[in-house]
Amino acid sequence: MTSPATLTATAPARPARAPGSVLALVVLGTGCLLPFAGASPLLLSLLVQAIIGAMLATGVGFLVRQNGMVSFGHALFFGLGGYVLGVPMAHGLLPPEMAVLLALLVPALLAFLLGLVITRIPGVAFSMLSLACAQTFYEVVLKVRTLANGDDGMSVTFPARLFGLDVGLLQDPRSMYLICWVLLAAVLVGLWLFTRSPYGLLTLAIRSNEERARFIGYETVVPRAAVYALSAGVAGLAGVLATFYNGFISPDMMHWTLSGSALVMAVIGGTRAVWGPALGAVVFFFFKEIVGDATEHWPAVIGITLIVVTLCAPAGLSGLLARLFARRAA
Amino acid sequence: MTLPAIEGRALSRTYGGFRALDGVDLKVARGEVRGIIGPNGAGKSTLMDVLTGRAASRGGTVLLGGRDISALAPRARQRAGLARSFQKTNVFLDLTVGEQIRLAGRCATLDNGEEVLVALGLAEIAHRPAADISYGDRRRLDLALALVGRPQVLLLDEPAAGLTVEESLAMADLLKDLARRWHVTVLLVEHDMEVVFGICDRITVLHLGRLLAEGTPAEIRSDPRVISAYLGTAA
Ligand SMILES: Nc1ncnc2c1ncn2[C@@H]1O[C@H](COP(=O)(O)OP(=O)(O)OP(=O)(O)O)[C@@H](O)[C@H]1O
Ligand SMILES: [Mg+2]
Repeated sequence: MTSPATLTATAPARPARAPGSVLALVVLGTGCLLPFAGASPLLLSLLVQAIIGAMLATGVGFLVRQNGMVSFGHALFFGLGGYVLGVPMAHGLLPPEMAVLLALLVPALLAFLLGLVITRIPGVAFSMLSLACAQTFYEVVLKVRTLANGDDGMSVTFPARLFGLDVGLLQDPRSMYLICWVLLAAVLVGLWLFTRSPYGLLTLAIRSNEERARFIGYETVVPRAAVYALSAGVAGLAGVLATFYNGFISPDMMHWTLSGSALVMAVIGGTRAVWGPALGAVVFFFFKEIVGDATEHWPAVIGITLIVVTLCAPAGLSGLLARLFARRAA
Repeated sequence: MTLPAIEGRALSRTYGGFRALDGVDLKVARGEVRGIIGPNGAGKSTLMDVLTGRAASRGGTVLLGGRDISALAPRARQRAGLARSFQKTNVFLDLTVGEQIRLAGRCATLDNGEEVLVALGLAEIAHRPAADISYGDRRRLDLALALVGRPQVLLLDEPAAGLTVEESLAMADLLKDLARRWHVTVLLVEHDMEVVFGICDRITVLHLGRLLAEGTPAEIRSDPRVISAYLGTAA
């Protein structure tokens, strides 16, 4: 790394990175100002749902980016966050704070244990297994009515304060919007730091060539399961936020269509950048709102858009933006 | 006699009833550069795979410095000091050259990544993704990944495959030099006879999964069985 050739060759990357972080701060700051700039509660409420979707998509996309694995079942962890929070809360099984902590931990923990087995299986087989796992849990929450009223779902009421904080803040569109926005930013920064860490590099190497990783002396199953757990933890957090905001849980939270939408968002946004799926989710969400108002055939429009995006920009919107930026900087 | 650096006893491997490797014995002394030659399909790569645990052995024992490593996974064998490169280039295409060497170094007890980069002339392209470098550079990167940590025993499966004549001779010189300097025992599978006879102390000849002959380059060159099975056609 000391040779002059290395130094000159890495130099051009520098100026491009600085605007990147400046841009990120500008986006974050602008987002924070929105509620104070006269955005209506309706818009803010929509944005809350969009950001929660963005978080779920971020989890799905992160798994693709870091593990090379396409999950068709991430709604499992989203729903699990909701149910582990909501069920004990409604039945008074646990101290409420304990339920919150468990809801944040259980999805990641389950994914880690599952991951030790299923992340060994490559390609489409993994996707199918992730779908099968999710559908199993879906059937359970659907059929076991004593849990949460089966397919009717169940409304969840929370104590007025949790951890000394006013729970009302999580149900008011203004404050919840800010909380979700900042949490999403924190998740993205956290995941980005992970990708930059030595462990993140190892997981990328395993994605790139698992056999060689073993032949340079690394164990590969635990890192794979760890990435799966991390991505599930993010999905679980999204589920917890959704449950707080809506005050309601239902099997739909675990349905495969939700897993599917999250995947579509990730593809539209592109998974090469950690923030790509989140961008894809926001675009998806508003696209759906606008097109949904115009025609009831919005899924078809989304489908066509997806085809166009994958054909014209295989790296997704984030890839497109990165390319534009690189050209500007050059 | 001191313990061999690596020893294989009655190594066998079948693929669906086909005996790719059939009861091969092998003893390589410390610091030796051993050539493994034989016609296509002779079982040379299979021998490498069985020694490193890439292919499970169906019978036989592998000893590394006298220690039985037959039951160990590839990763554990690597950590015990047995490293390898691959016939089909096997690097991390999505990582830069420097990143993957650093990664290999972090796992090793002795992190000589920088030294390896310099020794193999990869320092100048350390910042480039492996997907963007030339084939020759990728071959050297494959070798570099095996050299990080200074393994006791290094198994190289046709490191010069696909290289130009000059490149492969340069590779041979480099190997010989590194083996001497770092006291590495090398098993070298190679089709280029100039390279093999030029740098190997002893040569093992495989044919149809069996051991055909073993000896010094001079002995092998004049062995009638080797000439009829291999050298006669390869020359
Ligand atoms: N994974 C596999 N499945 C089935 N057959 C295999 C497999 N690997 C090797 N073989 C067979 O085993 C025999 C020995 O193969 P091997 O790759 O060891 O030969 P080699 O001596 O390395 O040849 P080459 O010089 O072409 O590299 C060949 O006939 C090959 O077809
Ligand atoms: Mg071979």
